[in-house]
Amino acid sequence: MRFQQITENKTEYMDLLLLTDPQSDMVYRYLDTGDMFALYEGKELCTLAVVTASGNRECEIRNLVTTYGNGGKGYTRAMIHYLSENYRKECDTMYVGTWDYEESMRAYKKGGFEYSHTLEDYYVHNYKEPIYLDGKQMKDLVYLKKDLDAEVDLKRVVNFALDAGRILLKNGAEIFRVDETIQRICKRYHVEEVDTFVLSHAIFINAERDGEELYSKIKHVPLSSANLEIVAEVNDLSRKITSGMINLEEAIEDLDRIEHMPAKKKYQLVLSAGVGASAFGYLLGASATESICAFFIGCVLYIWVLFAGKHRLSKIIINIFGGILITSMAAAMYVFVPVSMKVDGMIIAGIMPLVPGAAFVNAIRDIADSDFLSGTVRMIDALLVFVYIAIGVGVALGIFSNWIGGVGICLTGL
Amino acid sequence: MLNWFIVNVVCPCMGTVAFAVLFNVPKRFYVSCATIGTLGWLVYCAAVNQTSPAIASFFASLTVVLISRVLTVRMKCPITMFVIPGIFSLIPGASVYYMAYDLVISETREAGQSGFLALKIAFGIVLGIVSAVSIPREVFGGDYWRERKKK
Repeated sequence: MRFQQITENKTEYMDLLLLTDPQSDMVYRYLDTGDMFALYEGKELCTLAVVTASGNRECEIRNLVTTYGNGGKGYTRAMIHYLSENYRKECDTMYVGTWDYEESMRAYKKGGFEYSHTLEDYYVHNYKEPIYLDGKQMKDLVYLKKDLDAEVDLKRVVNFALDAGRILLKNGAEIFRVDETIQRICKRYHVEEVDTFVLSHAIFINAERDGEELYSKIKHVPLSSANLEIVAEVNDLSRKITSGMINLEEAIEDLDRIEHMPAKKKYQLVLSAGVGASAFGYLLGASATESICAFFIGCVLYIWVLFAGKHRLSKIIINIFGGILITSMAAAMYVFVPVSMKVDGMIIAGIMPLVPGAAFVNAIRDIADSDFLSGTVRMIDALLVFVYIAIGVGVALGIFSNWIGGVGICLTGL
Repeated sequence: MLNWFIVNVVCPCMGTVAFAVLFNVPKRFYVSCATIGTLGWLVYCAAVNQTSPAIASFFASLTVVLISRVLTVRMKCPITMFVIPGIFSLIPGASVYYMAYDLVISETREAGQSGFLALKIAFGIVLGIVSAVSIPREVFGGDYWRERKKK
């Protein structure tokens, strides 16, 4: 969906305009002075509108028509919303005149318009031929109005932008994406002067309007695991906001929905951890039996990760105990499965689900964008996870080799 | 041949999708993720015999990010979606693990060796990502090439 202002050859659209305003000399009255906007979906013209602005901070939608077959798809509403956003700076009130017919007024009322006044018998006096809709003659011109200034509120806009940024950062977006999203949302809702400083675990924001209103806020965002679906959804939302399709209320509701989106089913996560472990284990040179064992190790490991996450255990505990768990299971399988296997193949495959891939990639991308501070923090986060795992594995291996001793867990592979 | 196929195509494919699930990538991107992960690994395989693991990682990550960027523009979604699962097969998990393990059992010399290898591979990946990211965004949209043709 894309909006475009049409400045040339406006008469080409006459056929369309006549659908809602059936007398051409009435259309010509506003066609030259009015601004014409079109809404395209792909290459197809869906909705067309003409607006005239009068000097005293008022404007009027003179014509708004949706092409045949495109009704009921929300285009009319998107256009109304776009127009009110577009004229907010120049005008305080927007009017629209329509015939006294429920169907025609409904879209406007949904778009925030309310009844203003009626010009009685307007169509009877000004139009040569009587107009019939649903077998009823249209006589009166009903004016609806909308207060354009009502919506902008510096604090709400900034809070919303900050919330969007927080959700992005928490779920593993890059620093520049967080920054850009906040800036875009603020610009879109007319908060022009915004300064942001985004770190890997905090957002600082300072907004100003007309040199009078000042608002600043700091938000702490603890490092946590990535959920890319939420990043994708917030990104889509930001696109919708920038293109002017939704207003602030709808955006806030949508963000709330995104944040509380249900996570993937637990068994899916567990199974995919197993598959990931065994597939990458095989790739890194483990044998077929080792990979199959790695599948079970991966599954059990992830059950632990989910359990620990639910009880908010610290990362250190999760990873050290994860390492111990992997090693114990690998050693147990080494002893009890009557096929010759190496322990290290299983361990390397088993630790794959713990590998901090998202933190690593994000660290690199942040450093590539010159966000050195956040990049370093994320990189240390990633490296420490490896150290924790190794401590767990090392401790467990030490115990097992002493315990089983000469019976010979063949640790030479390590 | 079959074994080669399983190791080098099926494994990275499945592994990448598994990690895409773990990171909650939306379902519609699974196929792209799998393709990217597999291609990255194949490039790595092809290059690692001719050169070193570090240089092979460079080319592989370059491939991963380049394809991701093309798909990002086409599917209108954040690039992270493809890069994080796609690059998983290249992360030097084993070397870093060996380094950390050797450190734990105080084999400092061997820890140094595997650590250095891991560092080189990581730098290969970093360079690959950085060079692919620094190409301007417009190049990846269809419009850029269409307009060049007109000129």
